Amino acid sequence: MSLKRITTLDELHNYLHAAMQLEHATIPPYLTALYSIQPGTNSAAFHVLRVVVVEEMLHLTLAANILNAVGGAPDLAREGFVPLYPAYLPDGETDFEVGLQRFSREAVETFLRIERPARSSEESQRLVRRQRVDRGLLPTFRAEDDSDLHFYSIGEFYQEIGRGLAYLQEEKAKSGETLFSGDPARQITPDYYYSGGGEIIPVSNLETAQEAIRLISEQGEGFGKRIYDYEGELSHYYRFQQLVLGRYYRKGDAPDHPSGGPVDVDWDAVYPVKTNACLADYPQPSELHAAAVEFNARYKDFLGRLTQAFSGRPELLLDAVGDMFRIRETASQLMRNPIPGTSGLNAAPTFEMPLPTET
Amino acid sequence: MSNTTLGKPHRSDPADVSSSIYDVVIVGAGVSGAIIANELSQTGFRVLILEAGPGHDLTIPGYEQYLSRFYASASKDNNAPYPRNRNAPMPRSTDVRRLQPGEPDASGYIVQNGPLALDSTYTRVVGGTTMHWEGKALRMLPEDFEMRTRFGRGLDWPISYEQLAPYYRKAEFELGVSADVEDQAYHGIRFDPGYVYPMRGIPASYLDKTVARGLNGAEVTLRGEKFALTVRGTPQARNGVPNPRYDGGKGYVPVGAVSVEQVEQGERCQGNNNCVPICPVQAKYHAGKTLVKALATGRVKLLPQAVASKVVIDPGNGRVRHIEFKAYSDPGSTEHATGIARGRVFVLAANAVENARLMLASDLPGTSNLVGRNLMDHPFLLTWGLMPEITGTLRGTQSTSGIQDLRGGAFRRHQAAFAVSIHNDGWSWATGSPYSVLADIVDRQNQFGAALRRRLVDQVSRQLQLAFMVELLPDQNNRVTVDARYTDPLGNLRPVISYGLSDYTLDGIAYSRRLSRLIFQRLGVEDHTTYDPLDYAYVSYKGEGYTVRGGNHWAGTHIMGTSAKDSVVDGAQRSWDHENLYLVGAGSMPTTGTSNTTLTLSALSFLTAERIRGELDQDRSPATIAAA
Repeated sequence: MSLKRITTLDELHNYLHAAMQLEHATIPPYLTALYSIQPGTNSAAFHVLRVVVVEEMLHLTLAANILNAVGGAPDLAREGFVPLYPAYLPDGETDFEVGLQRFSREAVETFLRIERPARSSEESQRLVRRQRVDRGLLPTFRAEDDSDLHFYSIGEFYQEIGRGLAYLQEEKAKSGETLFSGDPARQITPDYYYSGGGEIIPVSNLETAQEAIRLISEQGEGFGKRIYDYEGELSHYYRFQQLVLGRYYRKGDAPDHPSGGPVDVDWDAVYPVKTNACLADYPQPSELHAAAVEFNARYKDFLGRLTQAFSGRPELLLDAVGDMFRIRETASQLMRNPIPGTSGLNAAPTFEMPLPTET
Repeated sequence: MSNTTLGKPHRSDPADVSSSIYDVVIVGAGVSGAIIANELSQTGFRVLILEAGPGHDLTIPGYEQYLSRFYASASKDNNAPYPRNRNAPMPRSTDVRRLQPGEPDASGYIVQNGPLALDSTYTRVVGGTTMHWEGKALRMLPEDFEMRTRFGRGLDWPISYEQLAPYYRKAEFELGVSADVEDQAYHGIRFDPGYVYPMRGIPASYLDKTVARGLNGAEVTLRGEKFALTVRGTPQARNGVPNPRYDGGKGYVPVGAVSVEQVEQGERCQGNNNCVPICPVQAKYHAGKTLVKALATGRVKLLPQAVASKVVIDPGNGRVRHIEFKAYSDPGSTEHATGIARGRVFVLAANAVENARLMLASDLPGTSNLVGRNLMDHPFLLTWGLMPEITGTLRGTQSTSGIQDLRGGAFRRHQAAFAVSIHNDGWSWATGSPYSVLADIVDRQNQFGAALRRRLVDQVSRQLQLAFMVELLPDQNNRVTVDARYTDPLGNLRPVISYGLSDYTLDGIAYSRRLSRLIFQRLGVEDHTTYDPLDYAYVSYKGEGYTVRGGNHWAGTHIMGTSAKDSVVDGAQRSWDHENLYLVGAGSMPTTGTSNTTLTLSALSFLTAERIRGELDQDRSPATIAAA
C-alpha cells in the first residue's frame, strides 16, 4: 500500500489504519522476548518489557480512538493486519529488521532502534527516495509525480497524520462542520483502560487528537531529548537502555548516565526459542504444531474481541484480560518445548494469522 | 546482610535514630502507622517508624521474593509468603494445636491459654497484615457504635458513626475502595448526597449471580423479625474501574505497585484468586502504598528490624520519655543492639495483640487495668457444598459478594449478628481445595490423565463455600497477657492469649449453620459440611458441633471510652494515662460489629492524625537534636 498526502477523509482513514497496524506490529516481538524469559528470573527485564507492551497497547487504543473520532471503523481481524516476521522499520536511509526473537542483547538493540529511530535533521529530509525492502511496516508515500517515497522514520509518519488532521478540520470548519463527527460511544475511556503509565485519551476534537498523537510518538523516545516523557514517565528507549547499562534511572539523571539501583540481567535464563519461527518449522502432525495453530487461533480471537471493543463495546476489554492469560499460557507451553531435529532450539508462537475460512 | 541492601536510601541506622528527637515516633509500619506517618509528614513533621520485621518490600524484587516463597510453599496459609523471623516471630495458623484443659500451648509464637485455640494471625513485615489481608472494606453499621444503648449488649463507642463518616471517606480514598454506593446503603449506613466510591464495584462472579438467582428475595424470620436475603457486592480495597463521578467529577487514579525505582505495575484486579496471602500484581491495597508517599516527603525515617521492647514513662508526669528497641542486622541471629527512640508524641501502631503485649511488657496495665482485656476477633463458621451445576468456581477474586441482611436487627438483644461471604475460591479455606481435591482424586479415586482433569474440573467448579463472620462482644476474660516464662529469642515477652466464645456468639454460630442448610436447600446444593471433633477449633454447643476459625481481626485490647476508669484511650485514641501516647488500631474499638476491621481502623488513623497535628501545631517549637 502507498499513501498520499492527506487531503481527503478516506486518505486520513488509511493513515490511521496504518498507524494501528504499526502500533500493533511491535507487540508480537516484545511478547516473544517477554515470554522467553524463564519464570522467576530477570525480574527487571521482565518488568521493563511488560510495561512497554502495555503501553504499546495504549498506543494501539489511542490510534483506534482517533480513527473512531473521525468516523472510521477499526478492524484488527482483517487479513494482513498482523505482519509476517521479520518485518522492517525505516531508520533514516536504511531499514532495520524487526523479528520474533528471544530476549537477548540483540533483541534489546532492536528494541532501542524501534523506540528511538533516527530523526531527519532537515525538513526536506522528511521523505526520502531510496530502495525499499519487502515487508516494510510503514506504507510508502506516493508523491505528486506518482513516484514512491519513504518516510524517514515513524516520527515523520505521525507528523503527516497531525498535519492532515489539522488541514481537514480547517476545511470542514469552513462549511460549519467538524471532522470529529464519530460516535462518542465508540471511544475507549479511562473507565475501561488504565495502565501504570500514560492515560487513555478519549478523542473528540483536534486538540485531543493531537494530544493522543503526541503521547503515541513521545512515550517511546522521551520529551525534548530528556529521559522522561511529558507525563514524567521514563521513556521506552531509556527503560530498555537500563538493561544494557545495568542501572536504573532516577529523576534528574542525564541521558546515558543512570544513577539508580543496579539492574541485574541474566542473559542465559532464557528459553532458546527459534527466531522468526513459522508453522512450517514444526513437524506435522505433532502436538507442537497443534499448539502453535491453537496459539494463532487464540490470538486471532483476541484481535476480533478488540475490534468489537473498539466498535462500541468497551466492556469487552475486561474479557480480553482473560484472553491475554490464555495467550501467555499457550506461548509459554510452546517455548518450553524443543523443536525435533534442531539440536536445541525451542518452539515459539508464530503469529501467522489463520485466513478466514471460505464458505 | 542482603536484607539491608534493598531499598537502602530510605533507611536509617539505629545510632542515628537514638541521637535525634522526632516529632512523632511510631511503632509499626502497617496501615495505621503508614497513614499517620503520611498525614503528619505531609504537613512538615518529622516522623520515625520502628518496624519489627525486615523492610525490603518497597522494591519490586523485594515483593517478588514474597511471591516466590508463596508459590514454592506447600502450605498456602496467611503467612506462607513471609519469611520466618525468630527475632520478630509471627503467629501461624499451622502452629495451632488442640488444647488440653489447663495446659497452655507454647509451641507457636502466641501462647494459647484457651479455652478455645485461636488460629488467627498477623504479619510482621513492612506493610503489616495488609500484606495478607483479603481487602474487604465494609463500613460498620451506625448501630454497631451503640450496642449498649440500643441492645443492652457490649459497649457503646465514645464517637458515633456520623462523627467517623468523614474519616471513612478518607480511608476509602486511601485504600482505594471499589464498590457501588447504591448497593451499600443498608441497615442505616448513610452516605453524603452525591458520594461515590473511588472505583466502581468489582463485577460479581458467575457463582455470585447463580446464587443470587436462587436466593434473592428469600425470607427468613429471626426472633419474630423478617429479613429478605439479597446477594450484594462487597466493597473491597482492590483496583477496579475508576468512577469518573468520584470527588465531584474529578475521578480517581488507581494506585499500582510500589517501588523506589520507576516500574509501573499493579493495575486492576486480574482475578488471580490468591489475594490472601499475597496479590501477585499489587492490585490489592497494602500499607506500602501509603508508606512510599510518606517516605517521599524526606521527613520520614523507617527503621526496620527494630523491635520495640519497652515504653519508658517519666514517673513525674506520666509522659512517655522514650521507647526502647532492639535492632538486629541478621534475622537469623539474635545478636542485636538496644537503642532508644525519642519524640514529642508516641504512637503504638503494632496491632491489637502487639500493642497490648508491649504495654504489659513495660508494666503499664493502665488505671483501668484494661490493657490486654476485651480481646476480640471475628469467629468464622464455614459451610460448604456442591452446586447442582458448574458455576465456574475459582474464577474471579476470592470473594466478590455476600449477604449482609443479618448484620443488624432487634435480635441483637439476644444473639450475635453475622455477615456472609460467598467464596469464589471454593472450599479452599475449609478443606484446602483444590490441592486436597486433587490428592483425593489421584490417591483414593485412582484417576489420571484426561479423566483426572475432567473430574477435578467437575468437582472444583461446582464448589460453594459460605463464610459466616459472627459478631463477638467485648469480654474482659478474653485477653492478652504476658508471662516471664515465655520470651522470644530477643528476650521480649511473648503474648499469652485467653479466648473463648460466649453463648451470645454461639447462638449466632448455631443460627448461621441452620441458615446455611436453608440456603443450600433452596439452591439445590449438596451439603458437604463436616466438623471434625478432633479439630483444634471444634466446639460443642446445644448438642451440635462446629469448627470455628479465627478471622485475624484482633481488636479490643486498649478500648476507647469516656474516662480513664472505663477505657484505655479516648475517642481520638490518646492514652488517658500518658498524654503524649496514642494506642491506635483495632485495639481501640469497643465493638467490631460485623465489619472487617481495616477500613474502620484506617478511618480512626485519619482522625488521630488530625488530633496529633493539632497538638503539635500548638507547640510549634521545632524538636531539637540532643546529643545521645
